[in-house]
Parts: sequence; C-alpha cells; structure tokens
Amino acid sequence: MRPIDAQQAAAALRAAHDDRALHARQFAAQGRPVVGYVGCDTPVELITAAGALPVRLAGRAGRDTSLARTYLDGAVDPQVVNVLAAILTPEDGDPVPDLIVITHDCDASLQLFYTLRELRRTGTHSCPPVHFVDLLHLPGEATRRYNLGRLSRFADQLAAWRGRAVNAAELAEAVADHDAARRARTALRKQRASALTGGEALRWYAASTAMPPRAYADTLTAALTGEFTRPEGRPLFVSGSTHDTTDVYDALEGDGWLVVGDDHDWGDGGDQPPVGEPTLEALTDHYTREVVPSTARTPQQIASAARGAVTRSGAAHLLTYCRQYDDAHRWDHPARAAAAGVPAALLRDQPYAGLDLPALTAQLAPQEAQMTR
Amino acid sequence: MSESTSIRPRRRTGPRLAAARDALQHQREWFATLRGQTEQGRPLALVNADAPQELFRAMDVPYVVNQWWSSIISAKRMSGRYLKALRERGLPDDVEQYSALPLAEALSPRGDDAPWGGLPTPSLVLAECTGDSMRRMFQLWESELGVPFWPLESAAAETVAVNWWELMRHDWETAIGSARIDLLQDELKALIPRIEELAGARFDEERLAQVMALSNEQAEWNRRTRDLLAAAPRCPVPVDDIIPAVMIPQWHRGTSWATAAAKSVYDEVSSLVGEGRAVVPEERHRLMWIGRGLWFDMDFYRSFEQSHGAVFVWSMYLALAADAYARYGDDPLRALAARFCAFRDQMYTPPWSVEWYVKEAKTHRVDGVVHLISPDSRSSWFTTHALRQAGIPVLEIRADNADGRSLDPRAMHDQVARWIESLPDQSQGC
Ligand code: SF4
Ligand code: SF4
Repeated sequence: MRPIDAQQAAAALRAAHDDRALHARQFAAQGRPVVGYVGCDTPVELITAAGALPVRLAGRAGRDTSLARTYLDGAVDPQVVNVLAAILTPEDGDPVPDLIVITHDCDASLQLFYTLRELRRTGTHSCPPVHFVDLLHLPGEATRRYNLGRLSRFADQLAAWRGRAVNAAELAEAVADHDAARRARTALRKQRASALTGGEALRWYAASTAMPPRAYADTLTAALTGEFTRPEGRPLFVSGSTHDTTDVYDALEGDGWLVVGDDHDWGDGGDQPPVGEPTLEALTDHYTREVVPSTARTPQQIASAARGAVTRSGAAHLLTYCRQYDDAHRWDHPARAAAAGVPAALLRDQPYAGLDLPALTAQLAPQEAQMTR
Repeated sequence: MSESTSIRPRRRTGPRLAAARDALQHQREWFATLRGQTEQGRPLALVNADAPQELFRAMDVPYVVNQWWSSIISAKRMSGRYLKALRERGLPDDVEQYSALPLAEALSPRGDDAPWGGLPTPSLVLAECTGDSMRRMFQLWESELGVPFWPLESAAAETVAVNWWELMRHDWETAIGSARIDLLQDELKALIPRIEELAGARFDEERLAQVMALSNEQAEWNRRTRDLLAAAPRCPVPVDDIIPAVMIPQWHRGTSWATAAAKSVYDEVSSLVGEGRAVVPEERHRLMWIGRGLWFDMDFYRSFEQSHGAVFVWSMYLALAADAYARYGDDPLRALAARFCAFRDQMYTPPWSVEWYVKEAKTHRVDGVVHLISPDSRSSWFTTHALRQAGIPVLEIRADNADGRSLDPRAMHDQVARWIESLPDQSQGC
C-alpha cells in the first residue's frame, strides 16, 4: 500500500466502516474468498492464513428482520437476529460470505449457529456453509486442551475447504499482520478519548473487522498521526452490550455526551495483546486466556477493569447499556458502578441501535445533584 | 423440568399413584435428616440440575439440587420475598429466576417461615456455565456469601448424530463426540480432590461404578414406564401424578431407594394398565404438551377430560428420565461425563430436541401437540415445523409459564378447547 496522509487514512477507515462490503468485494474480484464471522474470539489469523478475508458480520438499523425472527425467536439479542437477516437476505452493502464462522462467545452466537445449522439440515433456507469453533474460557487446563483441539479441527476444516493446508509461512504472515492490527488498535484505544468522538472511534475500530489486517494496521497508524483536538461533550464510559453500529453513540453524542471509553468487544474491549508466536499452541493460549468474552468474566474482573478504564479515559459518568434480551450485563452492574466511583446508569431492554435518552438523564440527575451537594 | 416437583395434587378424578405419595414423604424425611446433619457440621453441596451430582453421591457428600430447591421456594410462595433481596442489591430479579432463587434466599434475612426450615448454607456450589448469566450469577455465592463456586464449562458441538435416543445408552461416544466428553471428564478429575477435601475421604472408582449402575437401572425402569404408557390402549394415569413420582427419585439418583422408587412406579402403572384403568373411559384425543409446564394452573391439563375426552398422555419429565440419563460403560467417570456434557442439548438443541419430540409424539400416538412458547423458548419454529411435517397438528401458545399474569387462563382454555374440537375424533375411527 502507498503511504497515505492522516486525512486520507481517516477517510479510508470511514469508508471501510460505512460500506462493510467494500474490501470484501475487492477480494472477491480477485477471486479470493471472504469468510463472514460472528464472535469476538474468532481465530481470524487462521482465516487470513487460508487466503481469505475475515469480515465480522454486523447488523444494520432499520433492516427488515421478520423472517430471521421467525427462525431465531425466543429471548435472543436482536443484534444477532439482524445478522441472521443479513445472511438470509443480503442487501446492498452486506458482505456476502463464502463461508461463515461462528464462535461460542455468548449465547446469542450459539443460537445463531444452531439456527443456521438447522436451516441447512432441513433445507428450509439456503445459506453458505457454516463452521462452529467452540472456544471456551474457564481458566483451567481442561479448557485449554479442549480449545487446542477446536483450533486444530478448525485449521483442518479450512484446509479441506480451500483444498490445501495452511503452511508455516502463511500462518506466520497472518499472525504478524493481525498483531500489527492489534498494536494499531491499542494505540487507538490510548488516544481516542482526547482525539475522537466515540462514534468516530467506533468507526475506526469497526474498520478493523472489514479490512485486510495489514492494510488496516497501516491505515490506522497513518490516521493516528493526524492533529486532533479534544471533542466537546460530557465524558461518558459505556459498558454492557456490544455496539456493532454507531447509532447509539451518535445519539448520545448528539445529546451532549462524549463517549471516551467502552468495554464491549467492538470498541476498546476488543483490545488484545499480540499473539506473538505463529503456532496453534500460541493461538490457543491467546484465545483461551487473553480474549475473554464478557460473558466469561467474573463481576470482579469486570468491575476492576471498569475502574481502570474510567480513570484512564477521564469519564465522569458510566452507562451500562443492555439491549433487549442481553441481560447478563445486569448481574455485574452494581459491582461495576461501585468500582467506577462516578454516577452510573443502567438502561435495560434497549432496542437494537437505539436508546432511551430521557431515562439516562433521569437516572443520572439525582446522583449528580447528590455529588455536588 | 425441575419445577415439576412443586406440583401439589389437587382435584382428583383418576387414580392416585401411591408412588407419588411415597416420594413426597421420602423427600421431606430426607431433607429433615440432611438439615440435622449439616447443623452438626457435615458439608453440603448445592448442585445445578444439569451438573454431575453422582460424584457427590459416590463420595457421600450430601447435596441439594438447585432447581429442586427453587421449586420448593416457589411452592411455598416465597419467591417474591426472596427475589426482593436481589433487587435491593441492584441485581436482576427477572433473569434465570429459577436458578437464582436459592441464591436469593441465601441473601435474604433468615425468617422462621423459611420453606422446610430453610436451606443450610452450602459448603460448595457447582454449576455449568450455560447461557450468559450462570457464571456471573453463581459467582455471587462466592463474592457475596463466601461460598466457593466451582464452574464447569458448557461446551457445544458442531455436528451431532441425530438419533441420540438410540445411541446414548451404549454408544454415547458416537452420539456426543469425544471432545466434549474429554473436557468434562478432565474437569471432573480436577474437581475430585476438592470433593475429597469436603468428604474427608478418598474417591473410590468402584463406588462411582455402583452409583452409575444404580442410576442406569433407575433409568431403565423409567424407560419401561414410559414405553408402557406410550403403548397402553388408553392413558391409565394423569400426567400430573406421574411427574412427582418420577422426578423426586431423580434427585436421589444412584441410591437403592431411587431405583426401587422407579420400579414401584412401573409396577403400579403396569397393574393399572392390566386392570384396564383409564383417565378418560372414552378417550377421544391423546395430546402432548411441549414447553414448560403451566405451574400456575395445573388443573388446566385435566380440564379437557370430561368435556372433550381429551387427555395429556406425555410429559417431558418422564420421557427425559427414560431416554436422557442411562450411560453404560467400563469407565464410570467417563460415562458420568457423557451423561452431563450434552445433557441440555437433548431437550433444547435441534436437531436433537426437534427429532426427539417427533419420535415421542409418534410412539405415544398423539393426535395433537400443544406447544407452549415462553419468551425464552429456543428453536420453537423448528419444533412446530417438524411436527407438522410429520402430520401432527400443533397449537402454538405464546406465554410466560412462570407468570400467571402473562395470559388469561379462560381465554387460553377456550383456545385449546376450540382447537381440540377441530381435531379428528379417534373414537369414531378416523
Ligand atoms: S453484548 Fe451480550 S450478546 Fe453481545 S456479545 Fe456481549 S454478551 Fe453476547
Ligand atoms: S433445564 Fe431441565 S434439567 Fe435443567 S434444571 Fe431446568 S428443569 Fe432441570
């Protein structure tokens, strides 16, 4: 890639966010496959090493999800229902994957996998082939051994899919590329609060899941050399459900807030240390112990992480945002709020890509009044 | 399903199983003894229903099943008061309440009116991390009450052989796949030293083998009972009689009492069939209920007998007890792991759940299925679809089973009545 200036880089990140199929189309035009994935602990380096572009499947506000809701009913996060709708009836701008990979990062992902598996088995609806990578996250040795087995199986499946095994050089390059993307993301996490609106930071992060990793690393690194001034707004830390679109952040920031940090995996919570060694063992350690979905963290871990992140980002308020049916985050809200030490609100039952702004104000106002008294 | 034990016999029209009465009485005596022992310092484990209780049994560490205890709390109408303790701490009182009730009780002020004297504080809590909430919820036992929580993974398979009910007893390795069994077996090996500490004794594989043998025998009796009920010309026992008679012994799996109790259910049902007893003398419609039970209105199930000659002939509790537990094999620890590492899939995950319902519907010769879809039901579209594909009429009802407010019982009764009237009448030879 040619060296580009910070402004062009920022525009490229935005473009990759606004049209999540942009790079996928380029790949496809070169006759190379695209793998759509769901789950923050997807071993993307194996996909890249197999010559494919990993694109994390995202929802879109306003999409017609009625067919998806028919199959994937029950108390399932509407974000995942939206993703299912994109798979069943892709619209313009949806990446059309040659293969789908789903991990077990939360119950919604698992239910999505079961639904696709059953749709395929019963011939109810045609959709791309689906692989499920059951990575688990308890700290014990049994889990690590199990995960090693899942990763080698997945590597074998990818080899069978493309007709050739991943060799050592391919894996080394893929790990190096994704590690470069990780380092760039970490730099973004450290700079964002003083440089970008929450919505813009989330766009830059989201680009990492739709671009080739090396190109992303170079682009983001270039973008971060730009000149920034701290945006206006009351600094807020967002916890709870994931945000795969910027709708909620844009609404918050339109209301005078500034999202300076978050801990879900599309945002700062997607921060990962480098994998380092290009081996299945190193990947296993990484995806077992370094990438821990929020559902596998204890309330204590979440609370202490929130305390650190709130302090570092300078947030003066905390929001635990729970989408409808994504209630698990409510279990650790009290511990998280106490640890953060700033006025905290819990919004539950929120619709996909939306939030109840008056309720947020109503919860925070009395706490602020008490603090200034 | 554990909610079932909260069922109290009410209006009686058909025969009343002595086995159900005995089981309820045994349960009270057992619990009183257990309370006495824990007061004297014996350890107590609290174990989730889908976690390997047999390990505690084999090491003589008394345990209480979390969901059974929830059912007692609900039956004594204490849920509201206990859930308040969660609410007051800012914790959800409406997420997985059934698993959370014992925790809620433990967080509540102790009162004299606690059900059955109250659950003694456990020495250890064991649960699988299913769904998104379990791990966080059970961790609160540790952080709020100082009770150690031992989590187990809840692994999921990419591919499974569909006909699990045929494979599970002997060929579970094929049905489940080795990876998941390896995982739970490894986890159990890591757990054993912890239970040894509680027990003050060493783990004895022989003893576990006996426990597994007894529980397999219990499952065989349940299977015979289920097969008998499926094949009987007319349904001889109301479903709400069968449920406590089968479920209470499940909480005592691996004891001679439980195996004998399962046998006595079989003997009793078998003599009723022999006598030609029938819940409805003129049985016109055989029905199946899928989904959680309507715990707020158990009489519902019986209310179409006189008016419509319609009888619910199938319960998930007996059917699971018949198909889902037996695991034979030379290595008792591995067989135990195989009993639980895919346990919930049997009833909740397609294709297993879906195809199993179809098979049960056919073997029980049902004329229609009432499918209760609660807000957290899974894969309900596939279940309904598969049954209809198999030619079985399905009535879908959307409701929250735990909450009587979410539906109007009268309206639901009328809806089911109209649907039954639309079914072909079996007594007319259709
Ligand atoms: S936000 Fe909720 S549903 Fe989404 S990944 Fe996290 S836990 Fe799962
Ligand atoms: S899911 Fe079934 S087995 Fe598990 S606890 Fe609930 S009722 Fe019991």
